[in-house]
Order: sequence, then structure tokens, then C-alpha cells
Amino acid sequence: MSKSRGFTLIEVLVALLVLTIVITTTIAMFVERHKRLKEANETILAYQALSNEAEIWRRVAFAQLDAEPPTFQSDTAILAPLNPYSTSVKIDTPRADVKSVTFTIRWSNAQRTAKLSIVRADTGGSGLW
Amino acid sequence: MIRQRGYTLLEIVVTLAVFGIFLLIIVLLTADMRANEKRYPINYMAHPEVSSVMARLRRDIFDTTYYPQNFQSYEQTSRTLLLYTIDQTGFGKTVVYDFRTKGEVHRKEFNASDLTSEWVAHGVPDFQFTDYTLKTGQVAARISATDSQGRLAIDEIFVPRPHP
Repeated sequence: MSKSRGFTLIEVLVALLVLTIVITTTIAMFVERHKRLKEANETILAYQALSNEAEIWRRVAFAQLDAEPPTFQSDTAILAPLNPYSTSVKIDTPRADVKSVTFTIRWSNAQRTAKLSIVRADTGGSGLW
Repeated sequence: MIRQRGYTLLEIVVTLAVFGIFLLIIVLLTADMRANEKRYPINYMAHPEVSSVMARLRRDIFDTTYYPQNFQSYEQTSRTLLLYTIDQTGFGKTVVYDFRTKGEVHRKEFNASDLTSEWVAHGVPDFQFTDYTLKTGQVAARISATDSQGRLAIDEIFVPRPHP
């Protein structure tokens, strides 16, 4: 009986399969982690700009809201890494004395969106929010 | 029969090709990661010390009634923010944010001329303060910070709430 040396074909195939699974999983985890980190960084920047815009629109007189241009008024330099991006402001009036102001930033070819809404109530000019 | 040793050319080519594909994937991923590192500023908001400073600034500025030009040895500059705020009991106090020391934020609170509290945040970026005037004429505080590469990492506008 001849004694064969080395590995059988099955052994080699199983080893390759295990190695492929390990490498593919590692790369997939690496890619996913990288993607989420990027998205988190973008979201942090977007919400800073949204928060700034909300601060400004909170101080606009209730009666003046509809007359404001539907664009961001704050300096959006913080959004530079998201370029190209677009911003918009939408005003809904669910009730005569209530307005909902929604700020939106879109980037990554409009595939990613961040929104922030504030509700304004007509306080009769008392300066309350 | 002559027994050959080593690998055939085909085996070596296939092995190198497989290795090359993995290498290419790693290089592409690393290049993409490097590009993003260059593009995005450091996410300071994930740092508890920075979040604490921002939360405290937000609260102090919301309650600000005016920005004094001078207080004791301090002067209102882009690196020194002076505020006159109302505390929870309704009394006024002067708060000084000193951003002049690199990597530190000093907050001092004064009751009249007496120092009543002081804290320091370490390991924070270089903050800067500028005023931001709204269309209504109200003056807001704009707090910004850049990372070591000069990228704008924090840029927040805080508007004091209306006081009677």
C-alpha cells in the first residue's frame, strides 16, 4: 500500500472555504463600519446646521413666517464636507394659530436626508416660542 | 519517472491573482478611508467633555440678558466670552468663558464681583466666539471650533431667549 503525502482535495477545499468566509466577513465588517462612521459624521454636521437654522426661525415673528424665503438663512459652512447638498424650508399650517416649520438638508445625490421641525404658535407677539 | 518539485506556472498565476484581488480590495478601502478622514472634521460631539461644554454654553447663552464688554480683568473677545445671565432663582450672574488656553475651556461664574464657581474642561478643541446678528436685530452667540487640520468641526448658533 502506497502511503500518500499532502492534503486531500476535500481538505484543501474545506480550508479554502473557511478562509474565504473569514476574509469576506472581515472585509464586510470593515466596509460596514466605515460606512456607518461616515454617515454618523455627516449626520452630526447636518444637525448642527439644522439646529442653527431652527434657532434663527424661532425668533422670526409668527406673522412674518410665510413671507420668509424658503431657504436657509444661517451660514452653512459646516456643511462643506457634504458638498454638493441642498437645503429647504417648508411651512405647514395645521391650524390658523400654529405653523410647523421643517428644515431639510439633502446630500449624496439626495439619497441622504436630515430633517428638523419646529412648531410655532401665535402668541400674539409676546415673545414666547 | 522523474518526480517534479515546486509549483506549476498556472498554480503561481492563480495564487497571485487571488492575492492581488484581496490586496486591491484592501488598498481601495484604505484609500477611501483616508479620503474621508481628510474630508470630515473630527467628530467632537462624541467626546463627553466637548458635549458638556456645549450644553453648558447653550444653557448660559439662552439665559443671557446682555454681553458685558468688560468684567474685572476680562474683555469681550473672540477667545473670551462674557455673559450676564439669569440663574434658576431669578438672580443675575456674570459668566466668563475663557478659550485662550489651547485645549482647555475655563468657565467662571461671578455673583457681583465674587467668584462663586469655576470649572475647566480639558482635551477640547480650540473654541472661538463671534456674534451673529439676526434679521430681528437680536444678537446671538456663534460658537465654533476647528480641529487640528483647521477643519470646521463645531459651528453652533445660540440665541438668548426673550426676557421681559
